Amino acid sequence: MKQFHERLPQHRRLVLCLILISATTGAALNAQQAAAPQSDLVIRNATVMTASHGTIEHGAVWVHAGKIAGVGETVNAPASAVVVDAAGEWLTPGIIDPHSHSALDSDVNEATSPVTPSMHMIDAFDNRSADLYRALAGGVTTELLLHGSANMIGGQAVVIKNKFGLDRDGMLFPNAPGSIKFASGENPKRVYGSRDQLPSTRMGNFEVMRMAFEDAKHYMADWDAYNAKVAKGDKDAVAPKRDLKLEALADVLRGKLYVQIHCYRADEFLTEEAIAKEYGYKIRAFHHALEMYKVADKIAADQTAIATFSDWWGFKDEAWDAIPWNAVMSMRKGVRVALKSDSDDHIRRLNQEAGKMVHYGGATEDEAIRMVTLNPAWIIGVDDRTGSIDVGKDADLVLWNHDPLSTYARAQKVYIDGDLFFDSSLPGLGTTHFNGVMHDDGGFGGEDEAGEEDGQ
Amino acid sequence: MILSFSWFWTGLMALSSFAALAAQAPPPKVIAITGGKLLTVSHGTIDNGVLVMADGKIAAVGESGKVSVPPGAEIVDAKGMTVYPGLIDPESNFGLTEVSADQMSNDLIERSDEIMPHMHVYDAFHSETELIPVARLNGVTNAVVAPATDDTIAGQDIFIQLFGTDRDQMILGRDVALAMNYGAEQRRRGGRSGGGGGISREYPSTRMGLITQLRQTFLDVQDYVSKQEAAVKKGEKPKRDLKLEALIPYLKGERPVVIGVYEGYDVETIMGLAQEFRLKVILNHVTHSQEVLDKIAAWKVPVIVGSIYDFPRADQRFDAVYTLPAELAKRGVKIAISSADAGGPVSSHSARNLPYAAGCAVAYGLPYDDALKAITLNVAEMFGFGDKLGSLDVGKMANVVVANGDPLDVRTDVKQVYIQGVAVPMVSRQTRLRDEYSK
Repeated sequence: MKQFHERLPQHRRLVLCLILISATTGAALNAQQAAAPQSDLVIRNATVMTASHGTIEHGAVWVHAGKIAGVGETVNAPASAVVVDAAGEWLTPGIIDPHSHSALDSDVNEATSPVTPSMHMIDAFDNRSADLYRALAGGVTTELLLHGSANMIGGQAVVIKNKFGLDRDGMLFPNAPGSIKFASGENPKRVYGSRDQLPSTRMGNFEVMRMAFEDAKHYMADWDAYNAKVAKGDKDAVAPKRDLKLEALADVLRGKLYVQIHCYRADEFLTEEAIAKEYGYKIRAFHHALEMYKVADKIAADQTAIATFSDWWGFKDEAWDAIPWNAVMSMRKGVRVALKSDSDDHIRRLNQEAGKMVHYGGATEDEAIRMVTLNPAWIIGVDDRTGSIDVGKDADLVLWNHDPLSTYARAQKVYIDGDLFFDSSLPGLGTTHFNGVMHDDGGFGGEDEAGEEDGQ
Repeated sequence: MILSFSWFWTGLMALSSFAALAAQAPPPKVIAITGGKLLTVSHGTIDNGVLVMADGKIAAVGESGKVSVPPGAEIVDAKGMTVYPGLIDPESNFGLTEVSADQMSNDLIERSDEIMPHMHVYDAFHSETELIPVARLNGVTNAVVAPATDDTIAGQDIFIQLFGTDRDQMILGRDVALAMNYGAEQRRRGGRSGGGGGISREYPSTRMGLITQLRQTFLDVQDYVSKQEAAVKKGEKPKRDLKLEALIPYLKGERPVVIGVYEGYDVETIMGLAQEFRLKVILNHVTHSQEVLDKIAAWKVPVIVGSIYDFPRADQRFDAVYTLPAELAKRGVKIAISSADAGGPVSSHSARNLPYAAGCAVAYGLPYDDALKAITLNVAEMFGFGDKLGSLDVGKMANVVVANGDPLDVRTDVKQVYIQGVAVPMVSRQTRLRDEYSK
């Protein structure tokens, strides 16, 4: 542990000097005046991988009131700032997983109908799950917790900040945009086909979606007609019945929800894009997307991102053409690429999954680190708040003992909104806000694509 | 590209099927890899070394200038490269599965009974599997192939070479070990699918049942042996019982028994049985056995750790399993590391990640040399191939990997794999797809 206490006086001189000679912003001065002594933090001497503007050797990051207030070779932090000397360590933005089913117990799939858009994952979110802790220890600060892939149109996701130890609401990402999970391919047709229900084929899969959107359009028209009557002062107008399922679908058509689609095959990306255009919504990201390398130029034009596995393959037929070069090949053709876990196992080492992209296709360090930070933040719709080390963003930061793209990196400290949530040098669990009893979701679960019966 | 591998690209790239490639690979010749950093595994690192391969074997290894390169040898300039022995995966299902979810492609386990020692993996091994070239591209040259883990006695393993013209060339050893398993997973045959934690109507549905059944089985073998011997003495030709006969070499301690077991108390139980029948044990998994590590050391049994990514118990620190190889090594236990992902059954689709599992062990305290040994020499020794594989030593099979960096690092790219001194084409179904869509 490299606590700064013993070096504090020296650093104070440095900081004062900087304040005197540099053109300090008003924000910095205000921070100095307004902040309580403990609310400013400076991490210095680290190799700072910003994810947005390259790597700064011997860089410093200043955190004020939970936000990044400065980043560079030096920062204009107040003298009262707590300083962490991170010589020999690496600093990255918090790792972001855009596809997780952690902390949902076995409530991942409402696999009782192929269209369940009014399900909300927040209703299943268990904030004391051990999986959250293990992900935190792997540097994960934000997760998109998704419905499973049994349904063509599944439920609505919850975005969390991995502030393990806080209560449920304290772990929610404030004001994050809503996302909805769609699926396609083998899982829906297997789940419902095995019950002799629609869909049991890819024809059935897509038609189920179209029928659902036709229902939603009709529902929207009913409401539009009602609202028009009311606007005209018609006091006899009767409001249509509110239907949670159709309202959720209407939100898709109105562009109020980011559409996140579990999809493997090249032909299905094209069909999904065509249906989206037909009904007037945009697809935020294809998840898994193992065949994106085959049609990346077309999908790049639609500005749909992908959240893909680094190197999983062969677990099912639609994963047979998966290649580990998919991420980099797709990126080179203009697709925004994130790596994701879909696994309570791999979520603990997404940094290594990014490192593999240096191997498979020659991603630069910048490109690789973006795949687990800024790009997944974009998929979730929180890239203006987190995902890179830039002034004004949330101070979601991870200090590593080794290059985070290597096999050897261990997260030393994990900060979320400037608050320390994990410190590996502490005895016991290393948690700073949690000292209770964790829930074990049991077994080895959490995986979407381990070939389980109802596909998550 | 520093290496001069051009000789095999010409003429070979045009061939369509990999089986054809294997069949027509050039015969072994003399190759000298020069200027690389040699990780010998058995005798340290040579920073600027020379390795000579001839007749499928390592003919010389040493420092540059101290090893004479035979005239006419093909020189491979490996300056800036790292050279190390082919990696050996101690538990795989190569050739027993193709597409995990496609049951027709799976020959993983015979579930009809718990006691299936007469199941021979060599009868199912599909040598043309696409999984093998994929793993080989990351430097895996050998593996133990074992059945899945549903049965207490699942069958007998093979030891394979990940290159060759056909099954017979690729299987280096048949029935090299007995695959045993003990714990919660093997209980309730027929009851598990009923689910819901109901009471199974089938024996053995509890750990008591499993152990009693195993004990009775080994007693039956002892009885069988004495009756067969007596009958033969009388000049009779008694009927063979293939199931019981299959266990004889293991009861005699001639070959190792790999026991897959997770929980500490299960380790103690099954070791009691193993000692009663003097089995030659290799423990496998032990990922929830942190409290019995001293006992494991005292038994002096080798351990395959895997998956190193198994989840700790909910009350444990996040790194309780990551640190297991280091904790075992600290106690003098000989360890191997396997490639499995967390928890689930072994899936050799991920076998190419074997070196990263060893790297994880290094990150959590295992000395680097021990980690490399855990995926090379130690595995070879555990399964009876210590004199042939696992290190860069003269006389050993020339299974050699050339990579552009640290073999345990995810960023490292393997440039060339040699198996029995042959430069194996660095292609797989996946590279062909990559190249097709890169045009």
